[in-house]
Amino acid sequence: MSSKKDRMFDFKNVEELQTFITPLGKIMPAKRTGLSGREQRRLKTAVKMARQLALLSYGVQ
Amino acid sequence: MTNKIHTYQAVFLLDNEEVRKGFNQAKDWVQACLEKHNVDVKVLRLWGERALAYPIGSRQRATYLLGWVEASGEAVNEAKREMYLVGPAFRIMFLRADEIPAEEMAFGIEAIDDSAVEVPDEIEEFEMIEEDVAEEAAESKTEEKTEENTDEQAGEKAADSSDESEAVAAGEENKEN
Repeated sequence: MSSKKDRMFDFKNVEELQTFITPLGKIMPAKRTGLSGREQRRLKTAVKMARQLALLSYGVQ
Repeated sequence: MTNKIHTYQAVFLLDNEEVRKGFNQAKDWVQACLEKHNVDVKVLRLWGERALAYPIGSRQRATYLLGWVEASGEAVNEAKREMYLVGPAFRIMFLRADEIPAEEMAFGIEAIDDSAVEVPDEIEEFEMIEEDVAEEAAESKTEEKTEENTDEQAGEKAADSSDESEAVAAGEENKEN
């Protein structure tokens, strides 16, 4: 059991989310982000919501 | 069907054309629409005017309105349906939340002066986009140059190493003879 508190992601915090996004706009894999499964899923949800609100792009054309 | 009341975080993307006519007018319309459908608006405040990550229709920029509401799922859906048909909001998102944070609650229904909301004109928007494109192009050029330089250096190194290996092989042959 890890004693670290689970990391939360806010879809409004674009700067933080951008650190987990590749230059092509994809979400980095857990292997690269170093997040746990639960945190990675939270990140995915936050990024998808930010994309819906046009805070983040879906990808580079 | 149960009409359980939940807390939601809401984000509204307002059309800049409508915001230019008056931010408070657009905000009041959103608030009135929500209240018409029995949505209890706790917080409604300006989050900012910013460029969109991708164009939505012909819009390159939008004004973001952030809110916290308490309502049933059905009421939220009805309000959303109406707002997508008419009004200044062109994209809406409701997100279930456990509770309203204290710092958000402090904002309440924010009343700000229309002049405090700066919305750039359409012409400025295009100029800004052109500037961004030019900057990106310049950045990509510099990146390409640096990549080329590194490739050239790597090629030179490879050539040097191959020459060295050939010289060593020739020396070994001479020794054998």
